[in-house]
Amino acid sequence: MATKNSRQFDYKDIESLQVYLTGQGKLLSAKRTGLSAREQRRLKRAVKYARFLALIPYTG
Amino acid sequence: MTDHNHNYQAMFLLDNEEVRQGFNAARDWVRSTLEKHGLKVHVLRLWGERQLAYPIGGRRRATYLLAWLEGSGDAVNNARRELYLLGPVFRCLFLEQGEIPAEEMSQGIPEMADADLVIPEQLEDDLAEEMREGPEQEEEASSEESKEEGKEEGKVEAKADPEEEKKETATTGGTNHGN
Repeated sequence: MATKNSRQFDYKDIESLQVYLTGQGKLLSAKRTGLSAREQRRLKRAVKYARFLALIPYTG
Repeated sequence: MTDHNHNYQAMFLLDNEEVRQGFNAARDWVRSTLEKHGLKVHVLRLWGERQLAYPIGGRRRATYLLAWLEGSGDAVNNARRELYLLGPVFRCLFLEQGEIPAEEMSQGIPEMADADLVIPEQLEDDLAEEMREGPEQEEEASSEESKEEGKEEGKVEAKADPEEEKKETATTGGTNHGN
């Protein structure tokens, strides 16, 4: 069950995803993003979908 | 696989060369292919025409088509297979979703004139990329030169250091043996 406050990430919302990426296009660690494990997994999936659709690059 | 129906969000990347010949024709082909395999198309709309983050098969731009579908997993797999084999779609993504948002459902399958979608020519993209790459390449070249200079200096220093060390060891060694 998703809690009310848990964040959702959309692979189409590139600007919000890029906040969590380094200049090289690598995903920041949970320690740096400050997200919970579940949110970090959602973010990871969204980033991977966006990369697959060539919305964001695999490498910087 | 099961026959249970699910809602899916799908994104299709269309080849701009084929979209230039007619966006509606490309969209209708996608729609008919999905429906042929038993998928109910609730929404199928243009999401955007944009530059790709990396080239795919020599393409630097693509037209994105967003869809909301209802159907079984088998139907999705069969449709995906055909989409990749034939037609203007060169990449697609199907994601299972709980419910179709009301905002999306209200959009449906909007009619759109082919002239409304303006796709820049590939040549313009190439020129734009060259313009972007130009200064970077110069910077890279200058940085490489500086690196090479640095390496040469380093080599000279590296060569100089062992000699000095040898001298130092020889002098210190001599004194040590003497003592």
